[in-house]
Amino acid sequence: MLIASSTFVTAALSETSESGEEWKLETGNWKSGTGSRFLVPIRMASLDQTASFPQARAIRPAARSGVWVSVREAFWIALEALRAHKLRTFLTLLGVVIATTTLIVVMSLVNGMNLYIADHIANLGANVFIVHRYQWAQGYDAWLKARRRNKPILIEEFEFLRDNLKNYRNIGAEAEIQNIDSNARYQSHTVYFLDIAGVTPNMIDIGMQKVESGRYITQPDYEHESMVCFIGQDLVTAFFPNVDPLNKEILVNGIPFRVVGVAEKIGSTFGESQDNFVQIPLTTYKKYFSPRPSLEVNVQAWDSDQMMRLEDETRALLRARRHIPYLEDDTFGINASDTIMQTWHQITGAVFGVTIGIVAVFMVVGGIVIMNIMLASVTERTHEIGIRKSLGARRRDILMQFVIESSVMAGIGGGMGLLAAVMVSELVNLVVGPGFFNASIPLSAILVGLVLSTVVGLFFGIYPASQAAKLDPIEALRTEN
Amino acid sequence: MGTRTGTSSLSETQMPPDGVVIKADDLWKTYDMGEAIQVHALSGVSFDIDRGEYVAIMGPSGSGKSTLMNLIGCLDTPTQGAYWLNGHLVSELSDDELAYIRNKEIGFVFQTFNLLARASALHNVELPLIYSGMPARERLEKAEDALRKVDLAERMNHKPNELSGGQRQRVAIARALVNNPSIILADEPTGNLDSATGEEIMGVFGRLHEAGNTILLVTHEHDIAAHAHRIIHVRDGRIERDERIG
Repeated sequence: MLIASSTFVTAALSETSESGEEWKLETGNWKSGTGSRFLVPIRMASLDQTASFPQARAIRPAARSGVWVSVREAFWIALEALRAHKLRTFLTLLGVVIATTTLIVVMSLVNGMNLYIADHIANLGANVFIVHRYQWAQGYDAWLKARRRNKPILIEEFEFLRDNLKNYRNIGAEAEIQNIDSNARYQSHTVYFLDIAGVTPNMIDIGMQKVESGRYITQPDYEHESMVCFIGQDLVTAFFPNVDPLNKEILVNGIPFRVVGVAEKIGSTFGESQDNFVQIPLTTYKKYFSPRPSLEVNVQAWDSDQMMRLEDETRALLRARRHIPYLEDDTFGINASDTIMQTWHQITGAVFGVTIGIVAVFMVVGGIVIMNIMLASVTERTHEIGIRKSLGARRRDILMQFVIESSVMAGIGGGMGLLAAVMVSELVNLVVGPGFFNASIPLSAILVGLVLSTVVGLFFGIYPASQAAKLDPIEALRTEN
Repeated sequence: MGTRTGTSSLSETQMPPDGVVIKADDLWKTYDMGEAIQVHALSGVSFDIDRGEYVAIMGPSGSGKSTLMNLIGCLDTPTQGAYWLNGHLVSELSDDELAYIRNKEIGFVFQTFNLLARASALHNVELPLIYSGMPARERLEKAEDALRKVDLAERMNHKPNELSGGQRQRVAIARALVNNPSIILADEPTGNLDSATGEEIMGVFGRLHEAGNTILLVTHEHDIAAHAHRIIHVRDGRIERDERIG
């Protein structure tokens, strides 16, 4: 064990006192490659005593595996400490729990809405856009302005577009009324808040509707202003639970119509049934319900590449027909699924911005509470720290112990937040009911929630842990608890 | 008092030969109480302890024996002087290096046992091995072995509050033994025990000494110190007498 003969020692004369007798031996680590070095000062009476140089042991830090041993110990201590103070831990963690819950709930709601939007609203059909009096999904101010300026799309304008647009696949129109008075009656049954729509015969090809039985409105119906209707499933349920509805006569706002077809069930959007409708020829609609109907013109392109061109063409044609001067805004709206999605993403972006702010505040508050309780815990356990130090715990062992404790604590808070979030979103699903949307928790939300809370615990644990690590072992041992 | 000769510099101190576990050379511990008032807890203490010795350090309270014990136990460093422990020049080490020495070279037995209340006897004994980074299986084996040496193998899963005072102190002794230290440093190990249990504990120390361990006992009781083979009397921060018994 002579240093001089030990291969791991890279003896280097680094410092000499004025007498020339003081030496420092710089020793490399016992295990090569770990890179840490210790200075072991060696004092010698004179240089020629090197031959009988007595042993001096290099101080070897715990092997690398030792770090994991003490990390495991730290985990054990953390869980033990949390188990010993359940209520205190829970109260301490409320901030982190609330923050995580908020974050995950918002993320899952937005995720659910996204799925919903993708499922329903964006399902106009990929290659369909709608020319309507208003631009949908725009800001409130813009809408107020549009309400003053914009004019309904008239049947003449629809026909103008139909005749002048080039290279489209289909163009159809519909007009609808839906209010508290719109109703349908059959024998003693009445359905209110009915969606009464006048349609062109090709709407069946453009929209997402499908015929379950009978037929849709046809061209002859359209041309002859026939008194026929195509009904939704809600009317079937209300009027014809056990009877074939075809060729039965129902009263729509008191006017008799013959049922010629039944639509497949659609479901509900935003909690509102989409099956509560009758559709009649647009011409009949104009005659009986509204002499100058406000139309939704549905333009279907052959493929998505054509959409932009057709939208521009439509805009140019309508502006020309309405004599809108250059630089003036449109007095109509062109609505495609991508513009709706764009607006939707703006809304969710704003929601996320607010959420991040709230979560950040909660997390900081939660973190400070954790820091506070960790400082108390360090004070409480000063004696324990003294014992551990007397048994050879280094500063970083103690530091790690408390940092891991606060991280584990905050991570558990994140876990509780996750559980709360699961319950909240299940509750939302239950209250809003099936058919609205499913708030589903995305994996990313779980990861972000858990990682974020753990990191908060880690960050706010550093200061108390460094206080603990700095304690003097003698003082700490002397402290009674 | 304030003028100490700086000539007793460390350059004259030689590293002790192999058989010497502890070499204290002119140890001073001085506390500054502000405004140029200095209190010397130790004023130039020198002694050697050989491997296998059973030594008691005796002295009344305020004699400096606690300070001396802290220095020997590497919990503290001297203001001046050289302290060698099993080939390490301890007086020059940093905090973490001292922690390493405490872990490897010293087994503490305290008056108040100083066991972790929430941990089982076994885990308490494992602690020094945890801090030396020993893998779990090896650790368990060694800890059980140490508990067997103090006849507590069958109670190893009990927590300290489920053990009697004597049993607690035996757990503490097992913990002191487990890492095969160069010295076992016992600070008033019987201070919190009744005399019968105290005798039992002293019996354990006796057996350990016979097994070849170096034991350093700090006490103020004569009949406890009488178990040792050598008594170093400390008074007013100096060694008053160094007597060998038997």
